Amino acid sequence: MGQGFTSRVLIIGAGIAGMQAALDVANAGYDVVLVERAPSIGGRMAQLSETFPTLDCAQCILTPRTVEVGHHERIALYTYAEVIGVEGEIGDFQVRIRRHATYVDWDACTGCGLCQEKCPTRVSAEFERDVGERKAIYTLSPQAVPNKPVIDREHCIFFQRGKCKACERFCPVGAIDYEQEDSIIEEQVGAVIVATGYDLYPLTRMPEYGGGKTPDVIDALAFERLLSASGPTAGKVLRPSDGRAPREIVFIQCAGSRDPEKHMPHCSKICCMYTAKQAMLYRHRVHDGQAYIFYIDIRAAGKRYDEFTQHAMEDERVVYLRGKVSRVFRQDDKVMVWGADTLSGQKVEIAADMVVVAPAVIPRPQTTILAGMLGLPLDPQGWLLPRDTNMRPVETVRPGIFVAGTGVGPMDIPETVAHASGAASHVLKLFSHSCSEREEEWQLVKERV
Amino acid sequence: MACIGVFVCHCGLNIAGTVDVERVVEALQAYPGVVFAADYKYMCSDPGQELIQRTIEAHALDGVVVAACSPAMHETTFRKAAAAAGLNPYQVEIANIREQVSWPHQNVPEEATRKAIETIQSIVEKVRYDEPLSPLSLPIVKRALVVGGGIAGLTAALSIAEAGYPVVLVERAEHLGGRVDQLSDLYLNFDGDRAFLQERIDVVTEHPLIDLLTQAEVTGLEGYVGNFTADVTRRVAGEGDGEQSTRYDVGAIVLATGFELYAKVNLPEYGGGRLPDVVDSLQFEEMVRRGEIVRPSDGRAPREVVWVQCAGSRDPERHRSYCSKICCMYVAKQAIAYREMVPEGQAYVFYIDIRSQGRGYDEFVQQAMEEFGVVYLRGKVSKIIGQDGRLEVWGSDTLSGRAMRMGADLVVLAMAATPSAGSDDLSRLMHAAVDESGFFAEAHPKLRPVESPTAGVYLAGAAQFPKDIPETVAQASGATAKVLQLFAQEEMAAAPTVAVVDEKLCSGCGRCVEVCPYDARELHPWRALATVNAALCQSCGACAVACPNKATRMRNMSPGQILAMVEALSW
Repeated sequence: MGQGFTSRVLIIGAGIAGMQAALDVANAGYDVVLVERAPSIGGRMAQLSETFPTLDCAQCILTPRTVEVGHHERIALYTYAEVIGVEGEIGDFQVRIRRHATYVDWDACTGCGLCQEKCPTRVSAEFERDVGERKAIYTLSPQAVPNKPVIDREHCIFFQRGKCKACERFCPVGAIDYEQEDSIIEEQVGAVIVATGYDLYPLTRMPEYGGGKTPDVIDALAFERLLSASGPTAGKVLRPSDGRAPREIVFIQCAGSRDPEKHMPHCSKICCMYTAKQAMLYRHRVHDGQAYIFYIDIRAAGKRYDEFTQHAMEDERVVYLRGKVSRVFRQDDKVMVWGADTLSGQKVEIAADMVVVAPAVIPRPQTTILAGMLGLPLDPQGWLLPRDTNMRPVETVRPGIFVAGTGVGPMDIPETVAHASGAASHVLKLFSHSCSEREEEWQLVKERV
Repeated sequence: MACIGVFVCHCGLNIAGTVDVERVVEALQAYPGVVFAADYKYMCSDPGQELIQRTIEAHALDGVVVAACSPAMHETTFRKAAAAAGLNPYQVEIANIREQVSWPHQNVPEEATRKAIETIQSIVEKVRYDEPLSPLSLPIVKRALVVGGGIAGLTAALSIAEAGYPVVLVERAEHLGGRVDQLSDLYLNFDGDRAFLQERIDVVTEHPLIDLLTQAEVTGLEGYVGNFTADVTRRVAGEGDGEQSTRYDVGAIVLATGFELYAKVNLPEYGGGRLPDVVDSLQFEEMVRRGEIVRPSDGRAPREVVWVQCAGSRDPERHRSYCSKICCMYVAKQAIAYREMVPEGQAYVFYIDIRSQGRGYDEFVQQAMEEFGVVYLRGKVSKIIGQDGRLEVWGSDTLSGRAMRMGADLVVLAMAATPSAGSDDLSRLMHAAVDESGFFAEAHPKLRPVESPTAGVYLAGAAQFPKDIPETVAQASGATAKVLQLFAQEEMAAAPTVAVVDEKLCSGCGRCVEVCPYDARELHPWRALATVNAALCQSCGACAVACPNKATRMRNMSPGQILAMVEALSW
């Protein structure tokens, strides 16, 4: 139970927001407990190809951060883990973390990758948004931090049928442990930062765009994987159905966004820019290809953003069509796109080779669960609510609990990073008070509670 | 005898897709002084770093070359890893075979491979003569200077002070509060709790750790991160209306100088500055705040009001090329406020795109259209003329494709947001770069949005680019985190690879002082000798080039090293 004020912070989620907050706090000399649900850190940004408006390779600018987090002496990193309980108040939270069984002894494992090479089972990879494969024992990427594999029980032949054990046979250090069980870790912290990030609205909920059943209609993150030099096609744009380079490609913005009747009411903020980027990168990969973008408004509000979309239109000859798409369906080996151009008032039909949908950015289901656990209010869509939209954007109604990044709504990377540093500064402020002062404040809070 | 290890990274296919890494390794294994060479898929990954560490121990390496991406990416990673294995980090160098080899030479793999080999051999020569060095350590003054007393500056100053560090807050105007103080209501849910701003001002004003200087400007700055000296000049009222200048030692600076509106007179086609009933958005805020929306010309309530968005924005030929980001939302707010205050009035908004991005923003604009009957017209306004005491707005509706003329009683121009006057001077003073639009530049557009490229100078709010209030406040807190991180160190480590002077050779001619762009070189006060301020030196090497006696040299970049590096290249 509570011993006093603990100057250590729990950060939930190790995407770019969680990592930034962790580094800011740790580099100021305080301990961080960083919990990530996936087997390795980096979050959404690790899935991206290149970033707007400079076209920096995402992986290249991200790995210095992931490496720093992975090696930081003040950061206790728990990946493949979830926070299952938080009790207490500011200065004195008791946290329970469930570490999922990885079936690999990470202390013994050297990350050599032999097990992944020898595993006979190939399955569709979530990290690759199903346009790539992984093995049943896997890491998210070769640059994963930590670079230790986990076994996916559901697809592992040994777990399903009782034999195989190829990984165990080939592991040079005997790290495979089929008997491993989930473990519960308890930590005590003085503050919490929720940095759980976002999800994309699933294609299956949008029958108008093929409902996820048309193979050459993919979502924007899947397209990021195709564009990524470290992705399944090594950066070549090849359509999933037959591996050919698409000659004509259609991007559909606001898919599921700005549609209060059928889908989500909000604007997802980031799609206009990444779609312009994707169309541009497509043109860099397929020089004679033609890209079309359906949009409602082009929302390029940020430093050099408007100039970037202008560049896409004028220099990269991306055709922007103002209007909504009513139907997308397969016809022979084409994907037909029916829409309207609201500027000319005409119907538009495009026989495309591939369609990339920019789905609404939505909160993660885990955020809802965490909000319940932490007593944080959500808006009707499930976004975390800051204490005050304008003046207290990183604080919550609960003292000592802060938010960072896209858990509170869609944001692009720089806004996320600044927001996360903002959350970190509140934690630093809290921890840096002199001991007696802090003790007093903490007592006051205790009395109020 | 040198014992150098060479580690060649594939960077997935980024390097290995073009450069034949196996041949590179073979070539380096045969190179004099290289006792070990190997390649790996991702050298920056844990197994890659461990490979380097194991090899350092096993072969007792006294030098390491990592052939990989730009040193800007992972030099720190590899130096840290090597140091953990007992090698001096300054004996680790990066050979950049990605940005400088594989990426630009994708179509000529044979030549790229040869260039990679020579690049690495050249760096091997450098490492051969690298000396073990220790980082310099510099003291840190734990006091911050915050420039600007708007919501960004207030937030930063207060957060730093609440963390226990003294702050000097400098505001040019007479009062704190900046632009937010000029607004009617904060938008979204009309959460016009002005008490918030006043509350923050009161806390800042009374905080014992905050030195508040209004009607003051920073007029001089010297020093470097952790050790700046700032001159702050205050206008003092009273006898002679003089000026009073004070020096402050500070360790960190937060620039929170905000924005201003592009002047109406720049838009003569809209009657800017000529037609009294054409006002800018801050003038309209003032009317809403007073609770009285009237035409400046005759004091009557306007029946028809037209808002013109992107006035001076998104117009690279004539005005500002960028989108000012905040106008779409405040225009929706102003139109709603107008409809509430003048229920019989009609509101029109001309726009190019409606940019209502973020949680609740699009819904807010929808509300303006649907509940408050604000009419949105997609198109640009070509001119505004005065006619019979009213205004006539000429424009086009790009949705119907029709040219249109409409009468209006009042026109509100949502003028482009531009950098605060004086940003240029401040930029020069602080050595903090500005971008092509005059806003302060960030150190990295994605991952270092609250830092300027100059160490110790941080950015908060619209000084960096137009931002709405929530983003400004979050960013100001973010800048605070950087200041607190700096102040948490006992002393600061600085790179030792700076210029040094061989006193025997120096004649004190002063050429190094003239060429140094960082004010890091000066003449000794009485000896005929030039000195180096190691904290200011950025290792550019200009002084070493200018020195006629070869008295100045760069640590770990000596003339001998450079010649050996050049010799390693084929001609």
